[in-house]
Amino acid sequence: MSLWVDKYRPRTLDDLHYHDGLTARLKSLAKSEDFPHMLFYGPSGAGKKTRITCTLRELFGPGVEKLRIDQRVFLTPSKRKLDLNVVQSNFHIEITPSEVGMYDRVVIQEILKEIAQTQQVDLNAKQRFKVVIINDADTLSRDAQAALRRTMEKYMNNMRIILCANSTSKLIAPIKSRCLLVRVAAPSAEEMQHALEYVAKREKFDLPPEASQQIVDDSNGNLRKAMLVLEALKMQSPDLSGPLSIAKPDWETYCHKVADMIIQEQSPQRVMDVRAKFYELLSHCIPPSVILKTVADRVVDKVDESIKADIMHWAAFYEVRMRVGNKKIFHLEAWVVKVMSLYKHSFYGIELDDFED
Amino acid sequence: MTALTFASSWAAAKAAKMAGPKAPGSKEIPEPQCAEPLAGLAFVFTGELSSFSREEAVELAKRFGGRVTGQPSSKTSFVILGDDAGPSKLAAIKKHNLKTLDEDEFLQLIATRNPGDAGMDDKTRKKKEKEQEAIRQGAKEMEKREKAALKEAKTDGTSTAKAVDTSTQLWTVRYAPRTLREICGNKGQVEKLLQWLQDWPNNVKSGFKKPGKTGMNVFRAVMVTGPPGIGKTTSAHLCAKLAGFTPIELNASDARSKKLVENSTNINNTSLDGWMGGGHKTNAVGVEITDKSCLIMDEVDGMSAGDRGGVGALNQLIKKTKIPIICIANDRQAQKLKPLMSTTFSLPFKKPDAQAVRSRILTIAYKEKMKVPANVVDQLVAGAQSDIRQVLNMLSTWRLSRATMDFDDSKELVKMNEKYAIMTPFNVTYKILGPYLFSPTSRETLGDKMELYFHDHSFVPLFIQENYLKTQPVRVRNLAGPEKDMKELEIMEKAASSISDADLVDGLIHGSQQHWSLMPLHSVLSTVRPASFIYGNCQQYGGSQAISFPQWLGQNSKRGKLTRQLNDVQVRMRLKVSGDKSEIRQSYIPALFPVVVKPLMDLGASAVDDVIDRMDDYYLSKEDWDTIVELGVNQNKDDFVLKKIPAATKTALTRKYNLREHPIPFHKAQDLGKVPKKIAAAEVPDLEEVFDVDDEVPEESAENNQEEDDDISKDRLIQISKPKKGKAAPAKAKGKT
Repeated sequence: MSLWVDKYRPRTLDDLHYHDGLTARLKSLAKSEDFPHMLFYGPSGAGKKTRITCTLRELFGPGVEKLRIDQRVFLTPSKRKLDLNVVQSNFHIEITPSEVGMYDRVVIQEILKEIAQTQQVDLNAKQRFKVVIINDADTLSRDAQAALRRTMEKYMNNMRIILCANSTSKLIAPIKSRCLLVRVAAPSAEEMQHALEYVAKREKFDLPPEASQQIVDDSNGNLRKAMLVLEALKMQSPDLSGPLSIAKPDWETYCHKVADMIIQEQSPQRVMDVRAKFYELLSHCIPPSVILKTVADRVVDKVDESIKADIMHWAAFYEVRMRVGNKKIFHLEAWVVKVMSLYKHSFYGIELDDFED
Repeated sequence: MTALTFASSWAAAKAAKMAGPKAPGSKEIPEPQCAEPLAGLAFVFTGELSSFSREEAVELAKRFGGRVTGQPSSKTSFVILGDDAGPSKLAAIKKHNLKTLDEDEFLQLIATRNPGDAGMDDKTRKKKEKEQEAIRQGAKEMEKREKAALKEAKTDGTSTAKAVDTSTQLWTVRYAPRTLREICGNKGQVEKLLQWLQDWPNNVKSGFKKPGKTGMNVFRAVMVTGPPGIGKTTSAHLCAKLAGFTPIELNASDARSKKLVENSTNINNTSLDGWMGGGHKTNAVGVEITDKSCLIMDEVDGMSAGDRGGVGALNQLIKKTKIPIICIANDRQAQKLKPLMSTTFSLPFKKPDAQAVRSRILTIAYKEKMKVPANVVDQLVAGAQSDIRQVLNMLSTWRLSRATMDFDDSKELVKMNEKYAIMTPFNVTYKILGPYLFSPTSRETLGDKMELYFHDHSFVPLFIQENYLKTQPVRVRNLAGPEKDMKELEIMEKAASSISDADLVDGLIHGSQQHWSLMPLHSVLSTVRPASFIYGNCQQYGGSQAISFPQWLGQNSKRGKLTRQLNDVQVRMRLKVSGDKSEIRQSYIPALFPVVVKPLMDLGASAVDDVIDRMDDYYLSKEDWDTIVELGVNQNKDDFVLKKIPAATKTALTRKYNLREHPIPFHKAQDLGKVPKKIAAAEVPDLEEVFDVDDEVPEESAENNQEEDDDISKDRLIQISKPKKGKAAPAKAKGKT
C-alpha cells in the first residue's frame, strides 16, 4: 500500500488536474512528427516529473511504465569507483548526473553517446527515437553542459533529451536555445484543493474545505507536500474536523528552535550552540539554503518591524555567498552573528551606524 | 566590496592604535651597574606591560641573568604585573606571598641591583662554583685524551693515517662524545640501546624468543627517531663500539635500492677489523675489536626515488638478519617507514633541554678559550631548538673572529641561523588569537602575522573559524553592560564576515580556476583579519573554552556518508517516487516516519509485519530503514528514537525481515559477482615517471584481494547457492583490478 501521493499520481495526460493549456500542448507535441528536445522547469512538487512520464506514455504507450534500474560503475582518473544508477524502460533512459558530483561530464559524454549510437530495434515501437531524461539539470557542471551541446544536435535522429530542472538560471544559453522550454508552475490554491478533494473522493472520505485550505496554506504550492500532509493528518485525526494542527517535519521544528535561540540570547556562546545545531542539520542532508530560509522566516516573524528588512537583506546576501563558496557553515554563521548584532542594537534602540569607529 | 570594508576597517584599526594609551618603546632600558644584575633571581611575567611586549620583557630579564618561568611558585623571586593579569597567576601570588613589581620597578631593579659575590646567597654561589669546577674538569679530560691519542699515533708507526691533527677537525667531530656520560639527554634510551646490543649474542642463540626486561630482545632491529642534531647517529655509533661491534654505516649518500640492499649487505658479514688486529687490538673506547659487525642504516626516511624498493628490501633483511641493525630516521610517522613499524623496536629520542646541553657546551667553550656566559648558551640552545650540532657549528664559526659572545650577539647569531620550524595549528591558533600578537606593544608586522597562516594553510583557517568565539576580546575589555554586549557582537560580526569573505577567496583558489596567487589574501581574510578583531585571552588546554580541533572535518564526512545513504534510499524508492534526493529527505522521510518507525515505538513487535509491508512497497531494505532513522533530527533524532524501540522489537524486525521475501528493484552488479560494466577507463599517464614508485603497493593489494575473496562467503546472495561461490570469486577478483 503506497502513500497516496504515489498511489493517485496521474498516469496519462488526460488524468492531469491542472495546467490544461500545457497538457493540450504536450499532447499535440507527442502526436506531431518531430518531437523536440525539452526542458521542464518549475518548483518542486509542481508536477514536472509527472508530466514527463505522462508525455512518455503518450509517445510510446504503456511500455514505458515497465521500469528497471541498472547500476553502472565507472572509474575516475584517480581510480575511484563511482556508481551511477540508471532507470530505464525499453524506450527511454533516465539519469541523474549529479549523483557523481564533479564527474558528471564523463557520464554525459559516455552514456549519451552509447544510447545515441544505437537505433531503436523494436519494430513495434511507436517512435524511431529514444528519450533520455536528465534529472537535476540545473546542477550539471559547466563542462557537462558544454558536452551536451553538440550531442544534442548530432544525434537528433536517434534520441531526444528531456531536461528536468528547478530553475533555468544555471543552464547555459546554448542548451536553452536547443530545447523547448516548458514551465510547470506551482498549482494555485484552488487547483491544489481540487486535487486534494479528488484524492479524498477516491479514498472515500469527506474532506472539509477548512482542512484542505489549511493544508494548502501550509504547503507553499508544493502538491507533493500537500498530499503527504493530508495523509498524515488523516492518520492523526480520522474525522478531519475541528481545529487541526499540522505536524511540522522534524527538520523544520529544529530550524525553528535555532531561530528561537537566536532571539533569546545574543552571545558568543550562543553562536557556538547555534553552530552545533547547524552542523546537525547540514550533516543530516538538509540543504543550506533551505535552512537559511526557514530560520530567517521564523526570525523575521518574531522581531521588530524595523529590522525585518535588514535581516532578509543579509539572508539573501549570505545565500548568494553560500552558493559561490565552499563551506556553507561559515556563511550561515556570519548571518547569525549579523542578525544577533542587528537585534541587539535594535533592542537597545541604537542604530548600528553610530558605532562605526 | 571586500576591498572596501577591508580598507575602512584598517583605517579604523589604525585610528584605534594611535588613540590608544599604550606607548610602545617609550621607556629606556637602564644601564646596569654590573654584568648580571638579576643573577639568581626567578621571574614570572603576567598581564600586559605598557612599554614592552611580553617577549621583550622576558628577554630583558634573561639578558641580565634572571631566570624566567611560566607559573609562579614558592621559588619565584618577583612577579612582574602588567594590566589584566591572569586570575590563576594572581591567586598563586597570594598563595605563595610573592613580591610583585610593576614595569618601572622592574627597570629600577635592573638599574640598581648589584649582587656581586656578596649579594648571592651561599647556596647559589656554591652551585655556581661547582658548575665551574665541572667545566674545568671536563676540559682537562678532553685535553688529556687528545694528547693520548696523539702520542699513540706517534708511537704506532703503522697507522699514521689515523693521526689527524685535531685542530683541523670540525668541532662536531672533535668533541663528539666518547663515553655514554658525555651524551646530552636521552640517557635512558641510549642505555636501552646499549643493553640490546650487549644482549645480542644471547638473543641470536635463543632465536629472539625472550623479550627481556625492556621487551626489546625479540627485535632484530631498532628504529631510532628524533629531530636532527640531537645525537642519534653519534649514540648509535658509540653504543655499537661499546658493545664491541664494528659499525657499518649506510646513509643517504649511499644508494640503497632494493637490489643493492639485497646484494651488497651480506647479513652474514664479519668485519675484517678483528682479523687484521689479530684479536688483540682495542678500539678508541678501549673495547677489544672483534669480527662482529653492526649495520647502521642512517636516514631511513631519506630513502627516496632513487632507492626504489629499498625500504621493503631492508624490511626483508631485518626479518632474517644475524647482525644487529639500527635504523635512524627523523620522522617515525612517515608513510615510507610503515613496513618497518612492526619489525623494529621504536626508540624515540627527544630534544634535550637547555639544562642537559649547557654544561657540555660550556666545557667545550672553555676548552676553546671562549668566554661565553651561561645565559648566552641557553639562548643559543633555545634558538637552535636543542640542535647540539648546530650550536657547535655556530660557536666554531664565531670563534674564528672573536672569543667572547654576549647576549645580543647570540640573539643575532641565532636569528641568522634560524631554522624554519612548523608550528602545529593548535599553537598557531593560540598565538594568533592570544592577546599579544595584536597588542599595541607587539612588534610583529603584517607579514609576520600572515606567516602564521602558512605554517599550515589548510588547517589554520578551520581552526580560526572553530575557535574565534572563544576569546575574551581585548577590544571590549574596558566596557561594561549593554555597551560591551553590542561592541562584542559588532567585532564578532566583523570577524565572521571576514571569514565568509575568505571562503569566497578559498573557492577561487581551490575551484576550477586555481588562483593560488590569492593565498596571501586568503591568509589575511581567513586568519589575520578575524583575529585582529577578537584577539584576547584564550585557553590552550582544558575547559570548555579551550582551543579545539575543527568540527568541520568530521561533520563534513558525516554529511558525505549520510548523503550516500540517502542516495541509496532514493534509488530504491525511485520506481515509485518521482522526487529527487532533497525532496525525499524533506518530505518523504518525515511522512514515512509515522508509518515505518513510529509504530515500532508505540506498538512494539506487533507492528513489525505492517512496517515490513510498508517498506516493501517502497523497496526499502533494512539498511534503508536504518538510514531513515539516522537521518532524523530533533524529535526524530536517532538516539532518541532507538532508545524508545525495545531491543526485542528491533531483533524481531531484523529476524522477520530476513525471513521474508522482498521485492528487489535491482541488484548491484558487484553483489551478483558480475564484472561491472565500466563506463570510462582510467586515463593512463603517458610518462613513466608519473607513476608513484612504491613497491609495497602490489604486495598489499594482492593481500587485499585475497581478503575480499574470502569475504565473498559472507555475502548473502552467494550464500544461498553454495556451488556458485567458486565461480563468483575469480570473476570478482578480475573485476577488482
